[in-house]
Amino acid sequence: MGNPRVKTDRKPPPAGRPAAPGIRQSMSGLHTWVGLLLGWVLYAMFLTGTVAYFKDELSQWMRPELPHQTEVPDQALVAQRVADALVAIAPGSPQWSLRLPDARNNSVYAFWRTAAAPGQRGFGEASFDPATGRKVTSRETMGGDFFYRFHFQFHYMPVIWGRWIAGVAAMFMLVAIVSGVITHKKIFVDFFTFRWGKGQRSWLDAHNALSVFGLPFHAMITYSGLVTLMALYMPWGEQAAIRTPAERQQLTAELSAFIQPGKPSGETAPLASIEDMVRHAQERWGRDNVGRVTVTHAGDAAARVAVARGEAGRVSMSPQYMEFEGPTGRLLAVHEGVGAAAETRGVLYALHLGRFSDSVTRWLYFLVSLAGTAMVGTGLVMWTVKRRQKLADPERPHVGFRLVERLNIAGIAGLSIAMAAFLWANRLLPQGMADRASWEIHGFFIVWALTLAHAALRPARTAWIEQLWTAAALLALLPVLNAATTRRPLWHSLAEGDWVFAGTDLLCWGLAGLHAVLAIRTARHQPRLRPARKPDRDPMAGAALRKGEA
Amino acid sequence: MSHLPPLLLALAGFTALAFATDRQQHDLLGRPLPPSATRALRIAGAAALLLALGALVAWKGWGLGLVMFSGHASLAAGVVLGALILRARAAARAPKR
Amino acid sequence: MTAVAGWIRGIGPLVSRIVAALFGGYALAALASVAVLALPMSKPQAVLTGMLASFAVYAGAVIWVFAARSARRAWTGLLVVAAPLLLAAWSVW
Repeated sequence: MGNPRVKTDRKPPPAGRPAAPGIRQSMSGLHTWVGLLLGWVLYAMFLTGTVAYFKDELSQWMRPELPHQTEVPDQALVAQRVADALVAIAPGSPQWSLRLPDARNNSVYAFWRTAAAPGQRGFGEASFDPATGRKVTSRETMGGDFFYRFHFQFHYMPVIWGRWIAGVAAMFMLVAIVSGVITHKKIFVDFFTFRWGKGQRSWLDAHNALSVFGLPFHAMITYSGLVTLMALYMPWGEQAAIRTPAERQQLTAELSAFIQPGKPSGETAPLASIEDMVRHAQERWGRDNVGRVTVTHAGDAAARVAVARGEAGRVSMSPQYMEFEGPTGRLLAVHEGVGAAAETRGVLYALHLGRFSDSVTRWLYFLVSLAGTAMVGTGLVMWTVKRRQKLADPERPHVGFRLVERLNIAGIAGLSIAMAAFLWANRLLPQGMADRASWEIHGFFIVWALTLAHAALRPARTAWIEQLWTAAALLALLPVLNAATTRRPLWHSLAEGDWVFAGTDLLCWGLAGLHAVLAIRTARHQPRLRPARKPDRDPMAGAALRKGEA
Repeated sequence: MSHLPPLLLALAGFTALAFATDRQQHDLLGRPLPPSATRALRIAGAAALLLALGALVAWKGWGLGLVMFSGHASLAAGVVLGALILRARAAARAPKR
Repeated sequence: MTAVAGWIRGIGPLVSRIVAALFGGYALAALASVAVLALPMSKPQAVLTGMLASFAVYAGAVIWVFAARSARRAWTGLLVVAAPLLLAAWSVW
């Protein structure tokens, strides 16, 4: 039976000059190289981003001293409590802002601009206990926010650089998606008719299946990722059109609920009741659906308060907030609508972050995003699988092949180890250690570097198996470590109905199982090392872009 | 209302759509179904998917409903596709009749 | 010398395409994001529309550059699209 798999790149070239490659062939080449070049960056962005869908839960798990929250505390009371604390901690601050606790979050994160010398922009930040209004006294950690931030700005480099790298990678991803769709458009014409390869083509099968069924998500997440930072990547229209402070204010108001500090009056006047203002917002948006309170020039007669709507229940990040006069508590305005383009941006932004989700939808996000991670991973592995058979001497592959092979091991299996190690460090580093939060992160990178060294020194297949087993073991033992080092072991959290802790422990086991299966399959797999059919072919010139000329 | 009915509807929908293709009829049944049955499967599959969408939109509104629908649809399509691949693999490994 | 020339002739079109895709594509996207300002909408909406659409323009440009039959055609195509955008952008800059 003929194999209807698309194979235009095997067409014999016409005599004489090699013909210009067909569109499908050039797109296939583009897909291969765009996917490979930043593939490891994309894989890391995908995996840490996937985990970041549970960043709030992970942050709770990483601060085991904070008690399990059985119900959301009254946000109005909490807002007043923390606002009082901030008035004392950050006197004269031009702006401070606090994120209220919700169903997923049991602490109040606040930041404030310090009243610094002119021209200087200082920030302070802290987490507060909603019950007492005092600073949280848990272990020092960045929590799940580390994965979240790493996902779009990396680490050990200026934030802007990281964001540009992430943007370039996302753009590569977008091109890889479009070119992949063009190359394999047959899949979409009749989804279930596509002939799945048998036996040897398992990597291509997996890559195709993961790409196709998650395609709406992959396309959405890539484009919306670019949109989250679009003002950084494409500032030209803004620079051309927005020239006066008033126009800037107008644009900012379309994008963010952070009210900007104006000029203080210099006259002191205490803030009116924040509790009453939040009550007002609760009546409008629901008891547990107030997101954030931002205050400018607290203590000054010109103080303003913005109480913003929470993110649950609406697929949009467009600003919706009530604005109050600080000293009197008088409602100045309710901002609830933005222009069409701003709303489009707000929807895309919300779709990317998925914070509106209930827990089932969050799991759907997680699973499909994990499929996206696997799509990138299988794509990377496929590059080596396809080329291994064509190597002139499989015992001594050329340097490009070896580089990709080793980077794959550390980039895929090694990243799992490093991420697990980050959680281990959270449980093992001593509480009072200086720079503890930073050392958790250093631990992540040290372990990741070690996996790269290991991948470079061991034979490739052995390195894969050893690293996958290491990741499986680290993940499987994490609940044990948690039981040994905290007072919230799995049996306890299950009995308490503490699904943040129980869920994290169980998810670790699930992921450990996944790594173990991969390790076993890798160990069982016998690579076919056929000698290349055309040993005279220069292996360095194996560029897919020129495949048709062979 | 919960997330289960839409997920089951999406699974049923994609299964019906899969059985409506020549290839799967050949691989799974060994013979083509009559055109009328194929058409019925195609309509039933599309109807199940639309019903899942309708249920979610009625429950949560268009914004959340569409997002949840694409999540359920992706998951269901992945499950059906995965099952078909596994089955094809198993059939390939088994001795030829 | 001839070997170097041959190497350049071999690799040149590919490098040319890569440059066209990376920088030509970005320039076209940036130009489009400014050209949107000429549309009859309020400034903030136009600015945001330009930003939102720019990545689709960029991706489309990259695909075009590698789909075109030759590197020269790829560049020509970019320039042909850029010309009206440049006119529109000129009117608002």
